[in-house]
Amino acid sequence: MKLDNMFKKSQNLSLNEGEKEQKSEVPEGLLRKCNLCKKVILTEEVENGYYICPKCGGYYHVPAMERIRMITDEDSFEEWDREMRPVNPMRYKGYLEKLKLQQEKTGLKEAVVTGKAKIDGEEVVLGVCDGRFLMASMGENVGEKVARAVERATKDRLPVVIFTASGGARMQEGIVSLMQMAKTSAALKRHSEAGLLYISVLTDPTTGGVTASFAMLGDIILAEPGALIGFAGPRVIEQTIRQKLPKGFQRSEFLLEHGFLDGIVERKAQKETLSRIIKFHKKQEMTENIQKKSPAEQTDKEKGIEKTDGGTEEKRKKRIEAWERVQKSRKSDRPSGSDYIRALFTDFTELHGDRYYGDDAAIVGGIARFHGMPVTVIAQEKGSNTKENILHNFGMPKPEGYRKALRLMKQAEKFGRPVICFVDTPGAFCGIEAEERGQGEAIARNIYEMSALGVPVLSVVVGEGGSGGALALATSDEVWILENAIYSVLSPEGFSSILWKDSSKAKEAAKVMKMTAENLYKQQIVEQVFEEPEELTKENLAVVTDKMDAAMLEFMKTYGALSKEELREHRYRRFRRM
Amino acid sequence: MIKKILIANRGEIAVRIIRACREMGIATVAVYSEADREALHAKLADEAICIGEAPASESYLSMERIISAAVVSGADAVHPGFGFLSENSRFADLCRQCGITFIGPAAEVIEKLGNKQEARRTMTEAGVPVVPGTEEALEDWQEAFGAAEKTGYPMMIKAALGGGGKGMREVYDPADFEEAFRTAQKEALGAFGDGRMYLERLIKNPRHIEFQILADNYGNVVHLGERDCSIQRNHQKLIEEAPSMVLTDKLREKMGEAAVKAAKAAGYVNAGTIEFLLDKENHFYFMEMNTRIQVEHPVTEWVTGVDLVKAQIKIAAGEKLEFTQKDIRIQGHAIECRINAENPEKGFMPSPGTIQDMYLPGGKGIRIDTAVYSGYTIPVWYDSMIAKLIVWGKGRKEAIRKMQSALGEVIIEGVDTNVDYQYEILHNQDYLDGNIDVEFIRRISAQ
Repeated sequence: MKLDNMFKKSQNLSLNEGEKEQKSEVPEGLLRKCNLCKKVILTEEVENGYYICPKCGGYYHVPAMERIRMITDEDSFEEWDREMRPVNPMRYKGYLEKLKLQQEKTGLKEAVVTGKAKIDGEEVVLGVCDGRFLMASMGENVGEKVARAVERATKDRLPVVIFTASGGARMQEGIVSLMQMAKTSAALKRHSEAGLLYISVLTDPTTGGVTASFAMLGDIILAEPGALIGFAGPRVIEQTIRQKLPKGFQRSEFLLEHGFLDGIVERKAQKETLSRIIKFHKKQEMTENIQKKSPAEQTDKEKGIEKTDGGTEEKRKKRIEAWERVQKSRKSDRPSGSDYIRALFTDFTELHGDRYYGDDAAIVGGIARFHGMPVTVIAQEKGSNTKENILHNFGMPKPEGYRKALRLMKQAEKFGRPVICFVDTPGAFCGIEAEERGQGEAIARNIYEMSALGVPVLSVVVGEGGSGGALALATSDEVWILENAIYSVLSPEGFSSILWKDSSKAKEAAKVMKMTAENLYKQQIVEQVFEEPEELTKENLAVVTDKMDAAMLEFMKTYGALSKEELREHRYRRFRRM
Repeated sequence: MIKKILIANRGEIAVRIIRACREMGIATVAVYSEADREALHAKLADEAICIGEAPASESYLSMERIISAAVVSGADAVHPGFGFLSENSRFADLCRQCGITFIGPAAEVIEKLGNKQEARRTMTEAGVPVVPGTEEALEDWQEAFGAAEKTGYPMMIKAALGGGGKGMREVYDPADFEEAFRTAQKEALGAFGDGRMYLERLIKNPRHIEFQILADNYGNVVHLGERDCSIQRNHQKLIEEAPSMVLTDKLREKMGEAAVKAAKAAGYVNAGTIEFLLDKENHFYFMEMNTRIQVEHPVTEWVTGVDLVKAQIKIAAGEKLEFTQKDIRIQGHAIECRINAENPEKGFMPSPGTIQDMYLPGGKGIRIDTAVYSGYTIPVWYDSMIAKLIVWGKGRKEAIRKMQSALGEVIIEGVDTNVDYQYEILHNQDYLDGNIDVEFIRRISAQ
């Protein structure tokens, strides 16, 4: 049955006739239209909710003072250099008037606000660009304010956090605006040389001279989701090359994939993320900060972990063949790099990218805490199912993976953090693109730099230690290995194929190659062997990591007490004798 | 002055409100989602505006769209019905900001009573008895475990923003406390984005007795007696009746006074319901106050003769209550059965679909509030309640006989319904004897 126009409609009267008629209307500003999804939304929801569209989740530009409110502790912000004398180096017609107009419109004096504030109790020097002010273009005063803020931070030994946004150089100021790139970069270089932290957070849009200076110089570079980040603007590129640009080009996600960002952080998580990173970098003595363990763990430790070859008497009796160990080391349900990170560390914060070409998922790295002490952790990761295997390229790193690892190690050296590497790779990735980008160079560079890193470096072979691909993360003060892990110059298949022209003789090769933990310990290639349960899985991993934890604590105490020079000398001697 | 009302709801309650407006000569604006193009409320109203896609979040819960529809159509008032935005204080506030009368209490009152902890505090201060429990919201299970000692077992863990049984767990043994607390909190976080919990003594096998009140803008508050809503499945009411057979005149007076006190303490205006738990010893405890019209309002209408929806509109228009407490007489006995499109044999799974054929009973003392008709397709998107069957008799026995007869006449073809399930309850000996409490359904399901 259709009901269209079937019902008689009401004959209307009204209640309280004679009373003044009320007129309903939406007050100015109560509703607005999202300029991203075009839906009508409540203005209040946008302002309370981090300037995010409640419908489509899109990010709006945030005025500088609002950004400061979102990120810092209440009433902790102290503005610096608010009043700057306006400059007009080219005597550009109408420029000063335009500046005045912008000042009235935005309530700001310039396109960047700088000062000191607290984030979760930690003092930082803060710079926040405001895109409403002449597209946050960088003229003399913007550059000057950034440079002064950085200089004060260097002097007071405080970390710097800058939220960037910019259309580029301020054309009205001509060549002087170009020089601001050099001025700000030079100030940041001094800040870095003083061993201090700089975090840049890139927001939409960060382009031109700001990208090509202080935006891209962070020790850690974060970005908001979906932000446009680039040197040349997309329109300019399109006009120049006469091609349509792909979707997502120059967006944060694109930059992350191409290795230029450490991470993309949603607005709601930014304060917490910044606070965590800043706390990792608080100045402290390496070993002093190791927290006391809980009593239960202490007794474990008191039981003592003696340096051992891992084979108990009984085990030696029922010898496991080398080939069997090779197979165990490759088992798909064997815990991989990130499982060890989870088991041994807290607060792991993954950092991405090599800053040149890409972010290689075969190597996972970042900062974490080991008994409260900040450490840099780098692990080769295979993944634990087919989908993950493909994502992590079966644990075979490409040059960008090694370059990311090296970048994180150099960062660790700058901030005095020990480095712990977990090795689990069949070998460095073998392919055309790996050679194009210099696989050999990348491995060589890692070995070269690691040999002289001024902080303690520990490597643990937890699965396969495949040749140069493994050594690039194992030029360390000590190398440890799990009972059923292997470490060799080549896979047994490759070995038999090269020497015996028959890859099916891998089983024999495994024996000849002396690649098991026991052999390696005897040859003094590794310092410690960790016993494994019958079948090592993620579930019983604690059997291994509990002992490893105690041993690492000892390692930190021993090597943490050494000077940079002593560490370098020790590492040099370690490899020199081989 | 109210000349035109926008009904921010759907289904039988929207139809119920439109009918009241038609009788009062007030123009009506219906809003509907894309899934509700053929819905009765959209056809019956003087004007109808499509406000968005089928999911409620895109239509019946979209404050900005409903406000826009009200302004565009020139409605001077909004009736929110029940569910959807009816107890959303922000929506009430937005209406006010736009010069639209929200037919219900002020935003601040909704907010205060919507927060269970604050409601509890208000009631305690007003001298209305509440269930023993924690005063402060708890988030940490160990802290809660400590507080549980004082509350005593058995107890109920409840979410501060809870409703509809979500984020609730019963605990009989301290050993089960941790898991119950964690799972309830997880559920609450998922459903309401808020993990604040509180604890309450579990009253063994109580009745659910609620009092209807009406309050005008001039400080007059009147209660219209109680409804016994003890027949519930998973905290969803199935059958409601008025009056309750266990309330003596004296107890009714005492509880009614408490209800009026509660409404006054909250600064309440318009129609509202105070829910109490009543234990076997006739101790009663405030549970919560619903700041809207209830599904089961027809049983009160029948035993008091008051049209609650019209009363709501008149109060919102600034009129004084037309009666005082002593004018309210409870006459006869009314029962309501909720008819849901669901299959009791498949775990009450919703059964949307097209109603091929339908025959509904009628006659003296039978009322049916529904929004479905022959050929109507019940959308998958919304609540499964499709009709309410209400009967009136001189006494409970006559009312039950009438309900038995009426249920036996209901024919709905094309979708599964709970009519047979209701029919069975109406023949259950315990029900007939009035031996009911909130555990009734659990008991008969276990049999």
